Amino acid sequence: MGAYLIRRFFQSILVFFLVLVFTFSLPYFEPGGLNATAIDILGAHAPPATIHAFNVQHGFTENYFVRLWQYIDQLIFHGNLGYSYKSSQSVWAIIGIYVPRTIWLALFSLILTIVIALPLGLFQAARRNSIFDYSATSVLFILYGVPAFLLCLLLETFFSYGITHLPPPPTNIDPFQIFTNPVPFILPIAALTLLSLAFLSRFMRSAVLDVLVQDYIRTAKAKGCSEWRVLARHAFRNAMGPIIIILGVFLPGLLGGALIIEYSFNYQGLGYETVASALNLDTPTVLGITLLVTIFTLGGNLLADVMLGIVNPRIRVEGK
Amino acid sequence: MSIIGDLPTPPPSVADAASHGSGEESVVVAIVPLWRQRLRIFRQNKLAMASAGYLVFIVLLCFLGPLIHPTNQTDQASALLQTINAAPSAHDWLGTDLSGYDVLGRIMYGGEYSLTLGAVAGLITIVVGTLYGMVAGFVGGIVDTILMRLLDAFLSIPLLFLLITLVTIFPPTTSVIITIIGITGWFANARIIRGDALLIRKLEYTQAAQAMGAGRWHIIRRHVFPNSMSNIVTVATFSVADAILFLTTLGYLGLGIPLPGTDWGTMLSNSSQNLANGFWWQIYPTAIIFILVIVAITYIGEALRDAFEVRLLER
Repeated sequence: MGAYLIRRFFQSILVFFLVLVFTFSLPYFEPGGLNATAIDILGAHAPPATIHAFNVQHGFTENYFVRLWQYIDQLIFHGNLGYSYKSSQSVWAIIGIYVPRTIWLALFSLILTIVIALPLGLFQAARRNSIFDYSATSVLFILYGVPAFLLCLLLETFFSYGITHLPPPPTNIDPFQIFTNPVPFILPIAALTLLSLAFLSRFMRSAVLDVLVQDYIRTAKAKGCSEWRVLARHAFRNAMGPIIIILGVFLPGLLGGALIIEYSFNYQGLGYETVASALNLDTPTVLGITLLVTIFTLGGNLLADVMLGIVNPRIRVEGK
Repeated sequence: MSIIGDLPTPPPSVADAASHGSGEESVVVAIVPLWRQRLRIFRQNKLAMASAGYLVFIVLLCFLGPLIHPTNQTDQASALLQTINAAPSAHDWLGTDLSGYDVLGRIMYGGEYSLTLGAVAGLITIVVGTLYGMVAGFVGGIVDTILMRLLDAFLSIPLLFLLITLVTIFPPTTSVIITIIGITGWFANARIIRGDALLIRKLEYTQAAQAMGAGRWHIIRRHVFPNSMSNIVTVATFSVADAILFLTTLGYLGLGIPLPGTDWGTMLSNSSQNLANGFWWQIYPTAIIFILVIVAITYIGEALRDAFEVRLLER
């Protein structure tokens, strides 16, 4: 298990560098040539001297490999992700402001999603092809089909202007307010939970369906276990394997979902900042955030491997 | 063993399989071609049939509807001369939007873009994903390792981040959007197909073919590809739904189809401010049609997965 995890860890580092080179290279394909970024940031009427100064300041006059090396050098040996073109801040400072907001949002809706989706998937599988199964499936498919921004719009229409008057999140919200004044957080968390629900509970349903046809379930039933006990002790535990892998992949998916939700609710988290800086062509910020989320993803996958070893002893042996 | 069991959904119980194992009619149905059995399982799924009917209706509405209900959808200047934000009436069945365009006509016009782009982009993701997955899974060895680590790298960048970055770098035109959704959507598909190829490579008939001296390309074409067809078709269905959803999200961010074209996402996004003003006709009809399209495609995908489930055929 240990050797396996170490190998996975080094593979993750390799993958991280691939992502780094890939995302770093993307802006080089920008049509418009060397001055495109400068013109985007400084405006179409910027004098040539200013554009040249901008290019020199941000190293655009160097060649690609020199810049790539400088970026990697700064990142690895100085922990420096560079400086935003737009807001005269370091990318770290921007991440420091926006990450806590997104973390709370993602964490709470992840907990809610797990608490709702896993039992839902379990009971759907146990009562397969019942009215309950069909109606739950239909509701989940509809939730899957609703674009994130439309869901936010509908939630706002019904719960901010309609039945209740839930306030939207204020600008520059203090993320720790979620413990003292949780009301503005309700709608974004609800939206993120609803969007994640379909994905996770469909996986739970099919994982449990796969488990329910196994021989040990029949054995458990034959020796007189109650249905509840079969589901809770035998089916649930054995369905956890695929679910844990999915959860590892799920985390970045949650951040991706948060992207649109944050933008719709004007909740200034990481996703909001990503969209805003991408639309502003603020490349260093987008690059920095993408790398951060990539680390989250790779970490999530590694964590899933560790958890899988804990839940399923067979893997510990095989992974040696 | 009978080949057709009237089993609606997987997985069938052992008792079911046994009860269909004997009987006179099993000899008769044994000659029914495979695709017919699949079609039959698909048609047993009422929801999937209803979904297919709905999709056909929407495609006809979008592509033939403008012949019956012709409206101006491209001339911004003369559209603005009409009443903007007009409520539904005999002239404009679903009212007009904030630019004065007839909403029903706009749904058809935007639908042409959304459906076509979704289908083409979804097709690209499945073709690229299948090729990549087949090569990785079948060639194996160092090629597989390299291709899979590359895929890991692609997969660990959240799709929306990549999509938005690409669309801001390349000014969106219709073909650029198709390409970008196509080249960002295939990663997960490649992984699924590769898993299939790996599995099939280990199976006895593939090894038998190899032993008889069949070339790699022959084995991929005659054994691996037909046997992963079920997953390819299912994944393709979901890819089309995802492509339409991504296009909608881009439309919301203002990165959708450029004027004078439009798509459902751009339409919903442009009118979203007007919902609070009570102009419901600008949002709800489009939203319902759109969501039901995605739901219908998803149902069809699920039904296809059932239809291709070999376990269902043999028991």
